[in-house]
Amino acid sequence: MASVNTEAKAENLEVKSTSRSSVLGFFMAAPPMLLVVCFVGIPILIALTFSLGFTSGPNRVVSIIGQEIHKKDHWWGTFAAYKDVFKDSRFPGDLRTTLVVSFLSTFLTLLMALGIGLYQRIMGGRIAAIMTTLCLVPLFVPVVISSWAIHTFYAGDGFMRSLLSHFGINFPTVTSTVSAIVIGSVWTSLPFAILMVTSGLQSIPDALIETAQDAGAGFFRIVRTVLIPLAITPIVIAGTFTAIGIMGSFTIPLFLGPNQPTMLGVEISNFFGAYNRPQQSIVMAFIVFTAASGIALIYIWANVKSAKQSGRI
Amino acid sequence: MFKNKFAKALVAAAVSVLALGATAQTSHAASSTIQVYISADTNIQDLWVKQLIPAFTDAYPQYKVVVTFDLHGDHDAQETAKLTAAAVLHKDPQVDLADGGFVQQLGAAGLLWRPTAGLLPNIKNVSKSVLAAGKGGIPYRASSVLLAYNSDHVKTPPKTLDDLLAWIKANPGKFTYNVPSGGGSGYAFVQTVIDKYLSAADRNTLALSANKDLQSKWAQGLETLRGLNKYTYGQNGTYPANNAETLKDLSTGLVDIASVWSDQFASAQKAGTMPTNIKVVQIANPPLTGGAAYLGIPASSNNKTGARLLANWVLSPAAQNLIVAGTLSGLPVIPVSMLDPKAAASFASVDISNLRPTYLSANANDLKSAWASAVPGK
Repeated sequence: MASVNTEAKAENLEVKSTSRSSVLGFFMAAPPMLLVVCFVGIPILIALTFSLGFTSGPNRVVSIIGQEIHKKDHWWGTFAAYKDVFKDSRFPGDLRTTLVVSFLSTFLTLLMALGIGLYQRIMGGRIAAIMTTLCLVPLFVPVVISSWAIHTFYAGDGFMRSLLSHFGINFPTVTSTVSAIVIGSVWTSLPFAILMVTSGLQSIPDALIETAQDAGAGFFRIVRTVLIPLAITPIVIAGTFTAIGIMGSFTIPLFLGPNQPTMLGVEISNFFGAYNRPQQSIVMAFIVFTAASGIALIYIWANVKSAKQSGRI
Repeated sequence: MFKNKFAKALVAAAVSVLALGATAQTSHAASSTIQVYISADTNIQDLWVKQLIPAFTDAYPQYKVVVTFDLHGDHDAQETAKLTAAAVLHKDPQVDLADGGFVQQLGAAGLLWRPTAGLLPNIKNVSKSVLAAGKGGIPYRASSVLLAYNSDHVKTPPKTLDDLLAWIKANPGKFTYNVPSGGGSGYAFVQTVIDKYLSAADRNTLALSANKDLQSKWAQGLETLRGLNKYTYGQNGTYPANNAETLKDLSTGLVDIASVWSDQFASAQKAGTMPTNIKVVQIANPPLTGGAAYLGIPASSNNKTGARLLANWVLSPAAQNLIVAGTLSGLPVIPVSMLDPKAAASFASVDISNLRPTYLSANANDLKSAWASAVPGK
């Protein structure tokens, strides 16, 4: 009898403590959730309604001031602002530039990060450590400063042209081109990608590499069949983060890119500020959002895969 | 027990943060504080912060002036929206005096206090047409866009717009102007080329009211500008991002001619960042645009008395002398005879009685967009 009683008591205590910790957990998770809902979620919904032509309520003031505002003509709104954007002669070029720069920069970033990561994993030693550390320097330089530095380096009166002109070589002016945006994007994205990729490669046990070596596998075979497959999750995560960051970038294309076509981040700012067309700028923002969501799906896939591997789901 | 306390503390912290957010808005500025909003380049910031405001607070020590500065007017759209919202809701906009390109737009929407000679005595010294163009804004300084040229390489600078266009084609890669959405000096060149094909009446209409039909007449000017792509500095029709970059391209010798703001050019020469062999000249047929900069007192401002006092003081000869002779080297809005003769000598090359106005902001925004569609990279 007595023993049953104690057991019941213990069970009761356990129930109480789990409910307590779940309350604590809820309050710990609540502030960021509230923040996201209030300052990101609700504004996104309001912006969506504005892009569809709902110009009253929270959108009243912006529609008094803005130009080329379309008001809804159906109960669900209107696609007039979306049509404006798709018919605008600038949009196809801007979208193409955004996608090409995002893809190319991400590809180059991953390639370079893998180069450094593999060098450090396979060769190791002091030089590899110094090189990896040097590659992390851009992490501590603000983007504005680095874009301006790259600008002065490659501009018409910049370092490269000045130096090479002494040897009679006419180095091209790289600034105001899409190539300059790619250079800037790779420069700023590289440190994070290197951190992710090197840590992924470091976690692969030496035994696996040595076994492959003993079985007669060459360097490229080890990389292709052992190292990359085992580190694929951090590589994919690094790639998706890099691509999403570059797709929404503003400072680098503003400082280093051509006036037109430019990346959508800059064009959104032009439409919102200089041309005073808030509705169309929001439409473009939703287009970037959609493209970034596509990349986010890859990220989720990679996370699910890694969770399955480690047996969490 | 600890966990419970911790949870309680978290709740308390969350509640107090929310409460703080709710109460923060209710604090009011005292009427001895004048809140000034400036949307401009750093030379205008220096004018207010280093010269006008210290001199004003010396004369009126009972007032405190608080400045909010927005570089290049990057947030003009948001600020206009905020001031409009405040006026519609009859709330304090937390701005008593605004200096920025959006002031006329607010005036046209009836959201500014209309200046009268009774409450703003010094307004009587300002030209009536300049005052009328402000639509409720108070003109307080003027500036003009001029053609800057490198006198070592250009012995006889162009005198008319046609001369300039011919020079650009004869000297490929030696002329530039900045993106119109990035700065007024490039915008002035664009509007001047557009205006070449417009009648005086059409130009006047576009300066005073939003007009979509007249905008179709821009096509010819935009075509001319597109034709300049291969003759301007920069590959494939790329242009400097803002006024400062145009000045840099001139001072480093990358280009020989460019359009510049009169005041920014004069400040740069005074500061030594612009070599003395670079000189300025105004062209004719049509001249590059210029005009007054306006101050606005929002109709719902909490401290209109203080704002009026400051605006009236800015129109006094003492303050106008600071605008003309100080680091800004601006143009005055009161008769030259009222100024210090030494200060007046600095703008001898500019005809201040005949500044050609820019379009109303709604048309100007459309022109910036039309330029971006038609010209760069084409």
